[in-house]
Amino acid sequence: MFFLQSLLSGILTGGVYALAGIGMSLVFGVMNISNFAHGDLMMLGMYLAYFAFTLLHIDPYISLLLIIPTAFLFGFIVEKVFIHRIISHPHQNQILLTIGLGLIMSNTALLAFTSDPKILTTSYSSSAVHILGGISLSVPLLLSFTITCGITGILFLFLSKTTTGLALWATSQNREAAQLMGINVAKMSAIAFGLGTALAATAGALIAPTYYIHPMAGHTFLLKAFTICVLGGLGSVVGAGVGGIIIGIVESMSSTYLSSDWKDVVVFIIFLVVLLLRPQGLLGKKGEQ
Amino acid sequence: MKQIILIAVIAGIAALLPFVIGDSPYFIGVLISVLMMAALSSAWNILGGYAGQYSFGHAAYFGSGAYTTMILISKFNFNPLVSMVAGIIVACIIALITGSIVFRLRGHYFGLASIAVAEIVRLSALNFDFTGGAQGILLTDVTLWGLDLNSKIPFYYGMLLVLVLTLGITLYLRTSKTGFYLQAIREDQDAAASLGINLSFYKNKALLISAALTSVLGSLYAVYIRFIDTSAVLDLRLSIEIILTAIIGGVGTLWGPVLGAVLLVPLAEILRSNVIGDALVKHGVVSETSGLGVFLKENLAHAHVLVYGIITVVCILYLPKGILGFFRRVK
Repeated sequence: MFFLQSLLSGILTGGVYALAGIGMSLVFGVMNISNFAHGDLMMLGMYLAYFAFTLLHIDPYISLLLIIPTAFLFGFIVEKVFIHRIISHPHQNQILLTIGLGLIMSNTALLAFTSDPKILTTSYSSSAVHILGGISLSVPLLLSFTITCGITGILFLFLSKTTTGLALWATSQNREAAQLMGINVAKMSAIAFGLGTALAATAGALIAPTYYIHPMAGHTFLLKAFTICVLGGLGSVVGAGVGGIIIGIVESMSSTYLSSDWKDVVVFIIFLVVLLLRPQGLLGKKGEQ
Repeated sequence: MKQIILIAVIAGIAALLPFVIGDSPYFIGVLISVLMMAALSSAWNILGGYAGQYSFGHAAYFGSGAYTTMILISKFNFNPLVSMVAGIIVACIIALITGSIVFRLRGHYFGLASIAVAEIVRLSALNFDFTGGAQGILLTDVTLWGLDLNSKIPFYYGMLLVLVLTLGITLYLRTSKTGFYLQAIREDQDAAASLGINLSFYKNKALLISAALTSVLGSLYAVYIRFIDTSAVLDLRLSIEIILTAIIGGVGTLWGPVLGAVLLVPLAEILRSNVIGDALVKHGVVSETSGLGVFLKENLAHAHVLVYGIITVVCILYLPKGILGFFRRVK
């Protein structure tokens, strides 16, 4: 029973992690950049959901309708102003620029919102549904997971059916070839970063009701998102989805059977083992590293 | 030769500084921080700057030096110097494990893996009992050869010594076979390998030197402050500060990391100690009781990381080779 309980709650949390991982993988695939500001973008999403709830009294799940376009626009502008200038620079400079942007975001949040953790309590925050006699699933997590599945589905349709989506795929497969085929790769980068930001902020908003909202919250999620991406193969959107679920399950299992203090250690050890044995990721193609 | 004289002259001036500025503990404290960050960043530079292997997890080596020293002194009453050597050994073991994992990887993967190793070390120190967990370790009393370890002066000269040692090693490496091999690896790994350079041997060599020096600084810092916890000595933020200092001064140059530390540490100190806020209040620009005055007083101290972020972004966009690299290009 314990096993089933922790498996299911792992899958539900993993779904939200997957969303953050997919955003990072998309940016990596299209732009070949490791975005170290991803966690802080998630943190901004958490605050957006929090303020939409406390100031405008909008339910966190409804406020996604506002958060997604806002975050997309924000990401689009950040790409145009900063990231776009270093797209052909060495990896380490790209990493440092995104670290710098992340520090600016988290510390601006610290100045503006103080370091006191905020809690978003909805009327259904602590309610749970019981299934199969004894397994309880938290309602906010269940809602988050459902929305995650919906958004992932829409994203997948967008990437595989629309012209812009196909152009994004093409850019991620081969930037030069895509450019030669007449695809505006600079615009694709901005769209990819906008989408990545929107996905990060969505993931942030979705976990806001079940997590402490804090200016430095991004740190933990950043490392998780990286683990997820590497697990699934950097740049692979489907891989990131699978990676997210796996990490969710691993965390939940190690909390149940080991101790919640050590769950992050287990995640990082898995991360290193994957890097050692299958650096192209579980679903990645060989030779990409 | 010119550089050796320059190191000697600057070290000489630094050695005389405490006599010039008197024994103000505050200024000596700031100078110790400058020397420490200069040495940390120079040690990182051996691996990051010369071998081109950007480690994002150097806090792990600083922390292993600090923790080993503190545990041996506080629990087993070891001599501080012996425990410092023990710290070097622990740091080297962690470095060898890290190296055997991360040096098989390149580009994005290398940076990510170095963070993962450092996070495993940090979380372990946080969760084990013998490391004091979240409480950290406090050292009440420590003695060495009758030195007055309550004064900051011995630590000032200790840090200076390690900095000179680090710069000396960097200078030696630059003109030695190892140094040329490292630079060849930085420029093109595949070309270096095809010329018969043993990539993993030389990368590990650079990492071991860098980790050992970093660990010595960790030991010094721990005995100097007499209190450590994971957020002070093992945090990812520390690793990033070390890199930023090198980047802003100039990666892969001898003096870049020193210049970075001389500029950034006092800046952080000014922001942290609220000098600007106090000066504004004192000269009547803002009144202490006004909304802005209260806001500055409460928040300006947190702003130094924000300023770091802004400097990093500006530096990467406009001075990607750092301040020294910029002037070298102009010449």
